[in-house]
Amino acid sequence: VSASAPAAARGVVYQIPRNALALLMVAQAVVVLPYLFALSPWIIGVGLFCGYWRTGVYQGRWDYPRRWIKVVLVLSSVGGVAVSGVQPFSLEAAASLLILAFALKLVEMKSRRDAYLVIFLGYFIVATLFLFYQSMSVTAYQLVALVVVTAAMVGLNQHASRVRPLESMRMALVLVAQAVPLTVMLFLFFPRIAPLWSVPLPSSASTGISDRMKPGDIAQLTRSDALAFRVVFDGPVPPKRDLYWRGLVYSRFQDGTWSVGGLLPAWQAGEQPAPSMNAARINYEVLLEPTQSDWLFALETPLPRSAGVTLTRDYRLEAADPVHSVYRYRAASFPELLMDSYDALPDMLRARETSLPPGDNPRLRAYAQTLWQRAGDEASFVRAVLTEIYDQPYFYTLSPPPLPDRDSVDRFWFDTRRGFCTHYAGALVIMLRSVGIPARLIGGYQGGEVNPRTGHLVVRQYDAHAWVEYWQPGQGWRRVDPTSAVAPARIEEGLSAALSVEDRAALSALTGARMSGIGVLRDLLYWADSLEHRWNLWVIGYDGDLQSSVLTRLLGEVTAMRVAIAVLIGGGLSVALVAVSLFWRRRPVRRHPVERLFARFCDGVAGAGWRREPNEAPAVFLRRMAASGAVAPEQAQRLVDDLDRLLYNPAARYGARDLRSLRARLRRLQFRLMLGSVR
Amino acid sequence: MPVMAAERWLRSSWPASTWWAETLTSAARSAPADEVPVGRGAGGLLGNRFRVWLDRRIPPAREVTLSQSNIFIFPTRTGFVFGGLLVLLVLAAINYQASLVYAVAFLLGSVFLVTILYTFRNLSGLRLEMAGARPAFVGEDVEFAIRVVRPSVRGSPAVRVREGIRLGFPGALMRWADLRAQEADLVRLYVAARRRGWQNPGRLLVETYYPLGLLRAWTWVDLDARGLVYPRPLFTELPAALSGRRDEGELIDPNGSEDFTDIKAYRPGDPVKHIIWRSYARGDELMVKRYASFLEPRLWLDYQAVAGGMEERLSRLTGMALEARRLEREFGLRLPGEEIPPAVGDAHLERVLRSLALFGEPE
Repeated sequence: VSASAPAAARGVVYQIPRNALALLMVAQAVVVLPYLFALSPWIIGVGLFCGYWRTGVYQGRWDYPRRWIKVVLVLSSVGGVAVSGVQPFSLEAAASLLILAFALKLVEMKSRRDAYLVIFLGYFIVATLFLFYQSMSVTAYQLVALVVVTAAMVGLNQHASRVRPLESMRMALVLVAQAVPLTVMLFLFFPRIAPLWSVPLPSSASTGISDRMKPGDIAQLTRSDALAFRVVFDGPVPPKRDLYWRGLVYSRFQDGTWSVGGLLPAWQAGEQPAPSMNAARINYEVLLEPTQSDWLFALETPLPRSAGVTLTRDYRLEAADPVHSVYRYRAASFPELLMDSYDALPDMLRARETSLPPGDNPRLRAYAQTLWQRAGDEASFVRAVLTEIYDQPYFYTLSPPPLPDRDSVDRFWFDTRRGFCTHYAGALVIMLRSVGIPARLIGGYQGGEVNPRTGHLVVRQYDAHAWVEYWQPGQGWRRVDPTSAVAPARIEEGLSAALSVEDRAALSALTGARMSGIGVLRDLLYWADSLEHRWNLWVIGYDGDLQSSVLTRLLGEVTAMRVAIAVLIGGGLSVALVAVSLFWRRRPVRRHPVERLFARFCDGVAGAGWRREPNEAPAVFLRRMAASGAVAPEQAQRLVDDLDRLLYNPAARYGARDLRSLRARLRRLQFRLMLGSVR
Repeated sequence: MPVMAAERWLRSSWPASTWWAETLTSAARSAPADEVPVGRGAGGLLGNRFRVWLDRRIPPAREVTLSQSNIFIFPTRTGFVFGGLLVLLVLAAINYQASLVYAVAFLLGSVFLVTILYTFRNLSGLRLEMAGARPAFVGEDVEFAIRVVRPSVRGSPAVRVREGIRLGFPGALMRWADLRAQEADLVRLYVAARRRGWQNPGRLLVETYYPLGLLRAWTWVDLDARGLVYPRPLFTELPAALSGRRDEGELIDPNGSEDFTDIKAYRPGDPVKHIIWRSYARGDELMVKRYASFLEPRLWLDYQAVAGGMEERLSRLTGMALEARRLEREFGLRLPGEEIPPAVGDAHLERVLRSLALFGEPE
């Protein structure tokens, strides 16, 4: 019962095998590495300190930390997380604590149980990273991390001191590789369940366009070639100039900054748009990269086709929760469906979309008044402004001169005359509003690039764009893009074509390559993108809906019976594969054909009660038979002579005939012995 | 420790404990520390029913090949904790709707399933042979040598190599069998010798936690092991050696007066009282009997001649035998109903000690 007491009494103290210890330290480094950029530096510091200390212990230079040091380390770590500003009970707090526990446990790890605790924590940390990142490259890296952690566990169970870490690693690799088929089975068939309770989600800095925008912001975004989203169209991809991906509606302008503005009213009953059955429609599926926000992107005029996605009062799509991992939704867009096609805009909306900060940009407002008097209606007013932009020396540039907060648009319109899409769109909205026409700034993406390998559309951050919608009685909201006046190529051919030489030189090499397209590199990028796309589609996006459609395609019809049979067959096969590799007895080869013949003879007569002892040479075995009278002595002697000659005389030559005759004689003898045993 | 309590409860209140009781208590084990005593056996500790069941399932034999009919396998405590980790991962995957966290949980679960095969395979096909036992005196350890042979197959190390296999008799330290670089290993196990006679160390526990320590595969085999235990030696003085029997001993005075040796022709000077008058009367030559004195160098270790109870006498005789061997004297042993004529050498000493060990014991 007291298993450990006598061991201690005899002075046998458990020590973690050095091999396992080395692997554990490697595993720690590998597991924590991806968090380097996400964690606060002091946590990395604690990790490095612990790793350094443990290495000292490993090399026999230092002792384990004293109890009070451990207490101080633990308390200060927890305190550090508490004051470091991460949200309490959030995922980052949990991840930080996990990693701290992992590092601290490593230092004081002595017993086998400690080692297992470190290993299990390691597994948990590997899995936690997938809440933040899901790309293929991250997954490949984490697979390596899993193998290393598993190798540490293998090392713990290889007692021999001369085992090398690489051997444990190979074993772990074999284990993980052999587990893959079963994993695929489980991944396909394990039922996907809706969340059991709501959990705090990771909140990291949002990427992409935001709900507050200064005119220069989108120009900054354009320097990034990061993915925004991918779109799979059910039909052909519409022409590039029609691909206006609406994401945000900016209604409020204050101190040179556009923002979304206050809450919009909900839809009144019966107010929601309902397209007719035969209206032109575009069906598509979007795989949105994490934005940490709830807005989604869609073409005009969208209707949601996925659960959890709603249509807002300003005709945008919105997710129920902020998008923290690749989010997939279906939508249908009706290009001919008008938005808010009333004869008069509801007062609340009109007030919202015509308000301007008093006293700001007086020159532009006065100028708009004169234009408006000349134009007479909304459409000709807009045309006049666009003509102005087109005719006058306005420039389209990624690096516009900085503008002050106050009277910023005046400054741009009359003085600098250099700007990006937001500058022109913003100026147009202010001019429209100053003459009483409801107008708003729209943020989103324009265009995209079709990957020829899979036919999906890829929209990147440098496709970010801003344009304008103004309201006309009976017509609803109409889109107008002033960028098309200053840089028509931006809309027709993409950003690269619209940029000046200096602007293009300012882009990073990869972004430049993506935009301009050099043969091989471009193909490579397409290939990587299509892989990543399929990964998003089939692995990360494998949810309940996809599961049921995949299972329907695999099984014909999803019934409990069929699923059970499929799981049994698939799981059984994957386990059987491993079992065969392990238990399939490959007998040692007997190279000598005579040896092989004799071995077969021995197997045969074993059934008749003649068992050859392991230490019995063939001659001894045959003589024993002869001595017991089962075989005539002279016959046995002849066999012995032949065997000796064929087996042991290096000069002996024998052909197929010798072997055949020997086999025949052995067979006859075997037969007689078996007959004898029957009698 | 609740686990210990559960184990005790199982043993005390479950007279009908069978294999699954063994399985349950085994589950309470965590993975091994180096060389922890077994502390329990198949016999005695787990009750008669289990022993009877085990005897039927794995009958005693000098040589046993392990296969599915005699290997047990069950998760360790670590294995259950691992299971808990998987449940946590699946919960996290459900709540965060994270496909890849599902994937991690499934991969680890599959590794666990694959490990079942590996752990089982680690013992399967292994041949255990009783290679011999070295006798010991009471108070010392009997050495049992067990040969562990792995099946000879071709293939990669992952297929061939058997690792992390421990053997041990109940109550004795466990030892590792090293089958990494070699096909067979001789493992020597030491069991404390408590009383003289044949010592049966009980069933041999063979276990492994390889490769991950999440599962334990084990078996209790009866290799029909028995080791001889000699009585605890008690060193006393050797008996006085002057008994005189003519057929023994070393001549110290050919003209002594104690032992008759032979007859020879009379020569003047021979003692008159040694003349055989009867034969002279028959008309033969004058003959004399010769007597000699002997020092008795051949010791007789006589059960009747030493003091004490039976065990004490045997202990004394053991001590004397060892002492005589050390002095390289010729000695014999007389036990009630058994006599070993005097001789020298280690083989003789062993024979004597064996008789002493088995005196009054079943052969």
